[in-house]
Amino acid sequence: MPHVLPLTMMPEGKEGKVVSINAGQGLKRRLVEMGFCEGSLVTVHRSERGALVVVVNGIKYALGKGLATKIMVSDC
Amino acid sequence: MEKKKITIALAGNPNVGKTTLFNAITGARQHVGNWPGVTVEKKTGKRTYKDTEIEVVDLPGTYSLTAYSLDEVVARDYVVEEIPDVVVQIVDATNLERNLYLTTQLMELGSKVVIALNMWDLAESRGDKIDTRKMEDFLEIPVVKTVANRAEGIDALLEEVVREVDKGEHHEHEVSYGDDIEKKIIELEGIVGKDSALSGKYPVRWLSVKLLDGDENILEKIEGSSVATQVNSVLSTIKKDDYEAAMAEKRYETINTVLPQICVKCVNEVTFSDMIDRAVTNKYLGIPIFLAMMWAAFEVTFTVATPLMEFVDMFFGWLAGVVAQSITNPVLGSLLGDGIIAGVGSVMIFLPNILLLFLMISLLEDSGYMARAAFVMDKLMYKIGLNGGSFIPLLMGFGCNVPAIMATRTIEDEKERLVTILVNPFISCGARLPVYLMLAGAFFGRNAGTVIFGIYILGIIVAILSAKLIRGTVVKGKPSPFIMELPPYRLPTLKASAIHMWEKGSIYLKKAGTIILAGVVFVWLLSAIPAPGVDAAFASEEILGTEDSLIGVLGHIIEPLVAPLGFDWKVAVALVFGFIAKEIVIGSMGVLYGTGEDEDALAEILTAGAMTPLTALGLMVFTLLYVPCIACVGVVKKETGSWKWTLFMMVYGTALAWIAAFLIYRIGTAIGWGL
Amino acid sequence: MANTNKMIFAMVAGILYVVFGILKMLEGFGIETGLAESLLIPGDFFGGFCFVVIGAVFLYAVKELSAGVHMGVSYVYVGILMSLVFMAVYLLVMGADLLMFYAVKSEDYEGWRIIDSMRPGIYLGLLSLIGYFYWKDRFTTEMTKV
Ligand SMILES: Nc1nc2c(ncn2[C@@H]2O[C@H](COP(=O)(O)OP(=O)(O)O)[C@@H](O)[C@H]2O)c(=O)[nH]1
Ligand SMILES: [Mg+2]
Repeated sequence: MPHVLPLTMMPEGKEGKVVSINAGQGLKRRLVEMGFCEGSLVTVHRSERGALVVVVNGIKYALGKGLATKIMVSDC
Repeated sequence: MEKKKITIALAGNPNVGKTTLFNAITGARQHVGNWPGVTVEKKTGKRTYKDTEIEVVDLPGTYSLTAYSLDEVVARDYVVEEIPDVVVQIVDATNLERNLYLTTQLMELGSKVVIALNMWDLAESRGDKIDTRKMEDFLEIPVVKTVANRAEGIDALLEEVVREVDKGEHHEHEVSYGDDIEKKIIELEGIVGKDSALSGKYPVRWLSVKLLDGDENILEKIEGSSVATQVNSVLSTIKKDDYEAAMAEKRYETINTVLPQICVKCVNEVTFSDMIDRAVTNKYLGIPIFLAMMWAAFEVTFTVATPLMEFVDMFFGWLAGVVAQSITNPVLGSLLGDGIIAGVGSVMIFLPNILLLFLMISLLEDSGYMARAAFVMDKLMYKIGLNGGSFIPLLMGFGCNVPAIMATRTIEDEKERLVTILVNPFISCGARLPVYLMLAGAFFGRNAGTVIFGIYILGIIVAILSAKLIRGTVVKGKPSPFIMELPPYRLPTLKASAIHMWEKGSIYLKKAGTIILAGVVFVWLLSAIPAPGVDAAFASEEILGTEDSLIGVLGHIIEPLVAPLGFDWKVAVALVFGFIAKEIVIGSMGVLYGTGEDEDALAEILTAGAMTPLTALGLMVFTLLYVPCIACVGVVKKETGSWKWTLFMMVYGTALAWIAAFLIYRIGTAIGWGL
Repeated sequence: MANTNKMIFAMVAGILYVVFGILKMLEGFGIETGLAESLLIPGDFFGGFCFVVIGAVFLYAVKELSAGVHMGVSYVYVGILMSLVFMAVYLLVMGADLLMFYAVKSEDYEGWRIIDSMRPGIYLGLLSLIGYFYWKDRFTTEMTKV
């Protein structure tokens, strides 16, 4: 059974599928434009410090914790 | 034959090589850097290709035509409002999916687009197989392969651009959004089409799409039009958030259906960049690694510069000798020797340090490490109410605060941007370095390096605490969400970094030849005019730089202000003129103490009693913190758009400087240190 | 197995850098270690700290590799890159000394010999240079030159 959890809870090195983004409109759109759409695969490279390093569509981003909690993923 | 004139705009995501391509086309030397947000303003250049005169505009990077931060607004407004003849979209061949998102938006806008498929070399070496023929067929846009940094494919690109302009017929491409959304689009099209002012200027479908997209800029345009109420009533029937995301996803869907057909094996495996990142973003090692890299840069800046400084010193010594021998007119001789050579020479001697400092910063930027530093520092920045994005502008302040403050345009949150601007001047720029080098060298001998490092650290601490203070009181708010692309590492080439260094270094040279020259000549002039009531000739030996000159009188007027800090009138004057440019603090001391271009002589006079290690330390700290130079004040005004904040920054800094120097002097004296 | 080689390499380099770094820091505090003279270690607190960092990066590689984490090799590469950066820094410093001696003929440099500018950063860096050439493929094919 896949769980749905915020991106911050994903262990390092794991890949998940974006389920939803619980952010205000501007922010949500921005994230979608950077490649965080529903269904896209996100790999978490780093999450033990303040911010996360994630890869989506082959592009690497540094992502603040606050933002990352708003992205819900299902581990698969 | 009359030449044809066209304008083309270079658009694209951040960091895809726009500026590099711009330089390759126009032969200009704009700065490129391997982190997002290097180009924050649009730049223009010219190129004649065959018989067409092409004006080329380099735009800041943008992910889409819905703009979020200031630099993105610049790009988007240009494409939408100025309507260049052709938009050349630079697409990173190693990153098709996200890059094509912008393409879909340009297509919708109806721009004439030519795609420069850049970084072709990287895609090829990775083993990607991109079928540009198919890509052209699907997108109905000409695609040209380029490798911007080797200037490959430039002519082919210009050829396509010229052909595209000549092509008369042109159709708008569409993304189909699915029945529900399409219905709304058609409904809106019908309404918007009735306003001829709007529909004459922008494609109607595009306007409608943007309205559903919640684009604030377009909403504003509608507000002022004849169809405002009708549009609003349609928009009020839908759930905005859902529409926006759904539309963005449709665009991706469109891209994803064509992508597999044009790109075979666009693989993503563990790259060397990933490996480096694993270490430099390590929980425990990240910050220590950052500090070690900083220290290496620091070491090169200071130690390696020593012999080069000796050369500059020899040159000015020689120059002073030539002047002394060949100029017999005493006034002219004094102007050149005591004024210009003394003042400019004592600033120029630090050119090697400045150049090396800039070289180090360029290397950090070009390698891609800068963005990682922002990541590593995010946690700390969060604690002071900012986010990692504010860190790069702060780091750049070590070179010069002016471009650093301009670089804050990449920060989306207005409040955060304001705070980052206000504390930036506390990051010690290259211009203040000569002051430390001179004073620390004279008074702290072997420990000079440590003292200077300490001054730098102090600047950082003051910046951090001030940010926390300002963020907790006058500019309240939570840190905004942090997201930043981490571009792949690249081995910086010495050539690129050297060019970059030279660009910044030549500004320093120019400054020495203009502002600093004017400043020291002015100081010399004031110190050559006899004070009222003193009977002496203009520029005569006995009054030059003494209390019997006009500057002595002025100095004594302001002396009481700094006397509690242990500074005498000459220091007071030097500090006043340091407002023009911080290097002048040292330059005008050279003039005032009558030591000419000879650094060692100035050091000797100072250590012989004009100052103590304590006042020297106080002066260094004061120079670090007090009101930044004119250029910096100007850019703060421009970027904040407010005199109130500019004045706040000036007063706050100067007050801090005064208090800090006062404490150093008083406490130091009380415990009997450095007397 | 290639990783065993890397692990041994990282172990040796890690211990060397940490030990030299600590010696440097101690000397920087003015504590005589007695080893400084023969190993050409100057007293330098911050420089010593940097060495400890490089050593720690190598040792982290050992930690991960021995736990069977293949990506642990990342730390070996980064350790090598960092020690090469520091080697370059000290070579530049040596070049500056050469200039001071031959071109400037500064009084402070009377009796200077090239060995006076020989630093651990340089001879320890040789080790990393060997590592670099040994695993060169990884560096050259994947660190795309610009
Ligand atoms: N390998 C490779 N590197 C490139 C190419 N074009 C640009 N670069 C590098 O990419 C980096 C970012 O370039 P820049 O022009 O600043 O990008 P901008 O942000 O889009 O203006 C620089 O380090 C360039 O040297 C290319 O075609 N191939
Ligand atoms: Mg640019």
